[in-house]
Amino acid sequence: MKTDWKRREFLKKTSAAAIATMGLGTPFTGLLSSCSGNQGMPSTADSVILLYMAGGMAHTETFDPKKYTPFRKGMESNEVLSTFPSVPTVLDGIHFSEGLEKIGQIIDRGALIRSYVAADLGHILHTRHQYHWHTCYEPPQSVLVPHMGSWVAKELGPLNPVIPPFININQRFTVGEGEELKAFHSAGFLGSEYGPFLIPDPTGGLESVRPPEGMNTKRFESRNQLYERLVQESALGEYGSDYQKESLKRSMEQAYILLNSPEAKAFDLTEEPKEKYDIYNTGRFGLGCLMARRLVDEGARFISVTTEYEPFFGWDTHENGHTRLVDMKKMIDSPIAQLIKDLDESGRLERTLVIVASEFSRDMMTEGRPDLKVKDQVEVPDFIEDMKNYGMHRHFTDGCSMLMFGGGIKRGHVFGKTADERPCKTVENPIKIDSVHQTMYHALGIDPEKHYEIEKRPFYTTPDGLGKPVMDLLV
Amino acid sequence: MKNNLCRYPFLSASILPFLLILSIPALGATEQSGSDEVFWLWKFLGRLHPLAVHFPVGLLVFAAFLELFTIGKFNSKLRPGINLLILAGVGGAVVSVAFGLLLANLEGYGGDTLSIHQWTGIGTAVLGLGLLFMLHQVSNRNKLNHIVPFRALLFVTGLGVSIAGHFGASLTHGEEYLTSVLPWNEDEAYAAVDMDIDLVSFQTEELSEEKQIKLVGQVRAIFAHNCYNCHSTAKIKGDLRLDDKEHVFKGGESGAVIIPGDPKNSDLVRRINLPKNHKDAMPSKGKTLSKDEISVITLWIDKGAPWPEGVENQSVYRVAELAPRRPDLPRAKAGLDNPVDLLVDDYYLQKSQSWKDPVDDKTFLRRIYLDLLGILPSPQEYEAFASDSQSDKRELWVEKLLARNDDYAIHWMTFWNDALRNDYTGTGYITKGRFAITDWLYASLKENKPYDQFVKQLLNPDEKSKGFIEGIRWRGDVNASQVTEMQAAQNVGQVILGLNLKCASCHDSFISDWKLEEAYAFANIFADTTLEVSRCETPIGKKASTKLLWEELGEIDSTANRSEKLQQLAEYLVQPANGRMYRTIVNRVWKQLMGRGLVEPADEMDNEPWSQDLLDWLASDFADNGYDLKDLIRTIATSKAYQQPSIGFDDPLALIDENFVFEGMVRRRLTAEQFSDAVSRIIYPLFEEKQIKYDPFQLVASEQQQLEYPRASLVANNDFLKALGRPNREIVSTNRDSQASLLQALELTNGETLNSALRDGAKRWKEKYPDGDILIHEIYRQLYGRDPQQNEFNISSEVLGDTPSEEQIQDFFWALLLLPEFQLIY
Repeated sequence: MKTDWKRREFLKKTSAAAIATMGLGTPFTGLLSSCSGNQGMPSTADSVILLYMAGGMAHTETFDPKKYTPFRKGMESNEVLSTFPSVPTVLDGIHFSEGLEKIGQIIDRGALIRSYVAADLGHILHTRHQYHWHTCYEPPQSVLVPHMGSWVAKELGPLNPVIPPFININQRFTVGEGEELKAFHSAGFLGSEYGPFLIPDPTGGLESVRPPEGMNTKRFESRNQLYERLVQESALGEYGSDYQKESLKRSMEQAYILLNSPEAKAFDLTEEPKEKYDIYNTGRFGLGCLMARRLVDEGARFISVTTEYEPFFGWDTHENGHTRLVDMKKMIDSPIAQLIKDLDESGRLERTLVIVASEFSRDMMTEGRPDLKVKDQVEVPDFIEDMKNYGMHRHFTDGCSMLMFGGGIKRGHVFGKTADERPCKTVENPIKIDSVHQTMYHALGIDPEKHYEIEKRPFYTTPDGLGKPVMDLLV
Repeated sequence: MKNNLCRYPFLSASILPFLLILSIPALGATEQSGSDEVFWLWKFLGRLHPLAVHFPVGLLVFAAFLELFTIGKFNSKLRPGINLLILAGVGGAVVSVAFGLLLANLEGYGGDTLSIHQWTGIGTAVLGLGLLFMLHQVSNRNKLNHIVPFRALLFVTGLGVSIAGHFGASLTHGEEYLTSVLPWNEDEAYAAVDMDIDLVSFQTEELSEEKQIKLVGQVRAIFAHNCYNCHSTAKIKGDLRLDDKEHVFKGGESGAVIIPGDPKNSDLVRRINLPKNHKDAMPSKGKTLSKDEISVITLWIDKGAPWPEGVENQSVYRVAELAPRRPDLPRAKAGLDNPVDLLVDDYYLQKSQSWKDPVDDKTFLRRIYLDLLGILPSPQEYEAFASDSQSDKRELWVEKLLARNDDYAIHWMTFWNDALRNDYTGTGYITKGRFAITDWLYASLKENKPYDQFVKQLLNPDEKSKGFIEGIRWRGDVNASQVTEMQAAQNVGQVILGLNLKCASCHDSFISDWKLEEAYAFANIFADTTLEVSRCETPIGKKASTKLLWEELGEIDSTANRSEKLQQLAEYLVQPANGRMYRTIVNRVWKQLMGRGLVEPADEMDNEPWSQDLLDWLASDFADNGYDLKDLIRTIATSKAYQQPSIGFDDPLALIDENFVFEGMVRRRLTAEQFSDAVSRIIYPLFEEKQIKYDPFQLVASEQQQLEYPRASLVANNDFLKALGRPNREIVSTNRDSQASLLQALELTNGETLNSALRDGAKRWKEKYPDGDILIHEIYRQLYGRDPQQNEFNISSEVLGDTPSEEQIQDFFWALLLLPEFQLIY
C-alpha cells in the first residue's frame, strides 16, 4: 500500500476534522470512515459502466472519420476511406461519422480517444482479443484470469450491499464461440463470489432478481422463514461456526435481501417513464444502457453492457459493412447519448466512469497492422462492383477509437490521433490496454500495484503491474 | 475564588501553535513539488513530537485523576493545581499536534493506525481548548451550571489523550506491542523460513566455512521468499537485485544496501526494521520480516556478510525426496490394525492428540457413499447397514461400494476431468485445437486401470488419450510459455508430479529451484523439434537440451522422434524410483477423502507433509500393491483415522496453514455434482436427457444398465453447475472452492434449474404422498437418512398441514436442500 500523503487529501482530512470537531458530539468512527477512503488511495469514481462494442468497431466509420468516399460501381477498394460523410460535433473541429449526431452533441462532457492500439496476437480471433481487452492478459494463461469487473468487485465490493458488484448485461453464451466468451466472463482465481451477475436480456432483467416464477412476496418470505427455523433446529446446529455454513447463510441472506429489496426495481425497465424508455429502446443494447443507468442510480459498482458478440453479427462485419453500420450506429447513438445526459443531470456522472470501447478496429485493406499483417480472413476485390463489398471488412489493430466520460475524466478533451490517409494508423499518443485498465483503476482508487499471490507468484491487475494511467485524460 | 492563570493571554498563547498547524499543508506541498530538501527546522520540530506528547498525556490524565477528589467541593485546595495542569496539558496537546503533523507529513508515515492516532490527537487538542473555555466560564464567570459539563469534558479528554497515546505507541512499536505480551497472545511472530539455525553458535568471532555457507543460505532463503518478487531478474525495483552475490553487494539506485560488518549503517537493515507504515519500510508489500529473520540478516552483516563461492548451488527451497521410502510401521497396538492408524497413532502421540470415538454407522455410511460414489445412501441402504451385524461390516461395505464400477467411474470422472482439463464442450474443440479423452478416461476408471498404466497412457498416448498432453491450441500467436509443448510440461508437472513449472517456463523461478532451461528441456520431450528458449517472451537465441526434471530417472535420447521420446518419458516417470509421482497421487486421494491433503497445496509436493511417514508409507504401499487406486481408497476409507468425527474451520486459510494438525476429516460442501445428483434422484432430475454429453451405457443400453437420471458429471457444463463450483476446464484444476457466494445463493434461491426441478418434484411427491405427515417423514429419510426430530416435525407440519399443496411442498423441499446437514459432507 502506498502511504505518502497527497496534499489534496490532507486538506480534505483537515477540513473534515475541523468540521467534525465543531460538533463535539460527532463520534470519531463516523469521521474515520469518511476520510479513510479506499485504503488511502484517492478516487474520482465509484462506479464504472463499460459499453462494449463487440466485434471490432471501425474507427473511420464512427468516431474518427476520414475522407468520405461514396460508393461508385467499379471504384478501387484501396480508395475507400470512410463510407459515410462526417458530421460536426459540439466540439470545434471535431467530426463524427454520420449517424452519431447525438453522441456528437454530448462529447463535450467526456474525452474522445483516437489512439487505442490493440495487441498483436497473430491470426485475428475476436474472442482472444476480447479476453485480452477485458482481463488485460493475453490468452491462454496458466491460471484462470479475472475479468476487470471482478477485480473491481473484489477490491471495492458492492457500492450498495444489495446490488451485485459486477453485472454483465446482454452477452449470451449460447451463441457461436460461447465457450470462448465464458473463458473471460469469470472471476478467475479471485473466486466465484466476484464473478459476473449475468443478465442476458435486459427486458428480462427483473427475472434475475425476482423471486422465482409463480412465487409471490409473501410465499417467498415464508419460505425463507421456514429455512431459518429449520436451520435453528438442525441436528447439525453445533457446526454453526463452519465457514461453509456461515458463507452459505450469509450468501443466502444477501440473496434474500436483494430479491426483496426496493433496489430490485432497478432491474425492472417497465418502471421507467415511457418517453425515457423509448429514447433508450433501440433494442437490447439500448435497454441495457437504460438498465445500467437505473442500476448506477441504486449504487451498482461495475456494469458491462455489450452490443453482444456473435461471429459475423453486430460490429463483426465481414461483408455489407456500410449498410450494417447504419443499423449499428442507430443502435448505439441515442442510448449512449441519453445515458450520459441522464447521468450528468442527476450528478452521478461526477463519480461514474463510462467507457465506450471495442477490441480493435476494422479497415478495408489491412488485416492486423500495416507493419505486421496477418493472414487475411476476408476476400477484398480490387474493384468494388457490389455494395456488399463496400465497407470495413478486415480486422485492424493499429488505431481504434474509445470514449470515456465522468468519474474524473476531463470534459471535451481529445486525445491521440490517427493518420488521415490509409493506413489510418495511430500517429500520436498510442495507448495500450494496460494503460486503459490502469486509468480505470486509478480513477477508482485501486492501487496500481494491487496483486495477489497465486501459486506463490504475484499476479497483478495488469501484467507485472505495468501500464500507467493516462493522466492526460484525468482532471 | 478567582484564578489568575486562566486569562486570555494564556489562551491565545496556546492557540499560536494551532496557527502553525494550519501552515503545515503548505509545507507538505512544498515538499511534494520542489526537489529541495525540507528546511531542517521543520524536521527537527517534527522529531520533537515524541518528546512533547508526554506532557499532555501525563498532565491531563493526572488532572482528571485529581478532579475526582474535588467532587462535592469544586473549589477545593486542589483547584489551582488542577487548573494549572489542564492549561499546561492542553498547551502541550496543541504543540504535540503541530509537531505530530510535521512528523507525519515530512517523514512518510501513513496508514490506518496513523489516521486514528492523528484524529484522536487533534480531537483531544480541540477538546482541550473547549475544556479551557469551560474552565474559564466556571472559574471567571462563576457559571456554576457549567461544572458538570466541564468535568465530563475533562474525563473525555483524559480518555482521548490515552487512546491517542496508545495508537502513537502502536505506530512506533508496532501494533502488537502491547498485546503481544499477554499470555494468550504468544507465538505471534513466526518465521516464514525454517530457522534451523542456532544463532547463538554463530556469535563466535570467526565463522567456519560451513557456518558461513549455512548463514548466507538462510539469508538467501529470506531474500527469495520476501524480496525476489521485486528485486530479482523478474522485476528490478530501485535498481536493486538480491538474487546473486554481485548485485547484493552492488546495491541499488541509492547506493550500497549492505555494509559488511556494519549492520547499523546498512540501509537494508534500517529498512527491514522500520514500522510497516513507513514509506521506506521493506518489504513494502506483503508481510514484514519476523524478528528471527531480521536477526539472521543482521548477524550475517555483522559477521562481515560472508558469501563463499559456490553457495549458489545450495538450494534455498525445501525440496522433497524423489526416491520412495518405506518407513517401518510402529508395532501393532490393540484396536489399530490399519497401517494408516498405526502411523496416525504415532503422529497423535507426538502432537499430544488422542483418538476420539469413530462416527456412528449413519454418518459413516453417508461419508463413504459420497466420497466413493458421489451419491447418498437410500433409506433402504441405511437400514440394511444398520441391521448388518457383522463386526467388519464397514470394511465390507467399502468393498461393496468400490465394486460398483460404473457408479465409481461416474463419480471419479468429476475429479479427473478437473485435473486432466477434460470437458465435453469448451474452448478449442470447435477449431480442432483440443481433444477429449472421455472414452478412455471412463473406461480406465471403470476397469480400475493401475495408476502406472494410467499415467503411461496419458504421457505416451494413443488417439483416445492424447488430449491431455496435446493441450489447447489457440488460433493465432500465443506466449512462448503457452505453446502446447510447454502446456504439457506444466500440466504433467502440476498434476502428475506435484510441482509448479509455470514460473520457470518464463524465467528462472523465484519460487523454486527450477530454471528456465530445465523447463524447456522437459517441454522438449513433448516437441517434434527442439524449442527455442524464450525468457519473458524474448528468444535468447539458444536451445535447451532434452531432459527429464530428474536425470537420475533416466536419460531421454534427444535425437529420437517425438513418439520415442514420449515412450521414454512414460517409462522413466512411472518407475517405482519416482517416489514423488506416487506421493503426489496418494496425497490427492487422501485429500479427496479427508478434505485436506497430507501436503498442501496438493500441487506443491515439495511442501512438508504433516506426517512424512504416513505419506511415504501410503506411496510405497501403493507402488507395492500394483498401483491400485481402489485399494488405496479402501485403505484410507477403512482406517480409524477416516472414521474420526469431522473437523470444521472458521477460517479457510487455517486449512492450508503449515502448522495444521490433523485431527480427522475436514467438513466440506457437496460438490456441484454431488448436490445435483442427490436432488436429481430424490426430488426430480435437474438436467434433461439431451444435456448428457457422455452416456456410458449408450452401447449396452438395457433395462439393468442405463442412467437412472442425467448424472451431473456427464452433462455439459451449465450455469447451475458453474455457479456451484464446476470449473471451466481450460486449465487443470485440482481444488474446488468450499465457500458459498452470492451468485451461488442467487442460483439456488432463484435459478430456473433448481426451481423447476422442485416444482416438478413437488408434483410427483404429492401424487405419491398426499398425506403431509407421511411426506415429511419420507423426505427426511431420503435426504438425511433419519426421521425428523419432534421440533422439526412440528415446524414442517405447521407449514404443510394435512394435505399440503404443491407450492408448499416445493418450498419445504427448497428449505431442506439448503440446510447444512444436506449441504455438507460431515
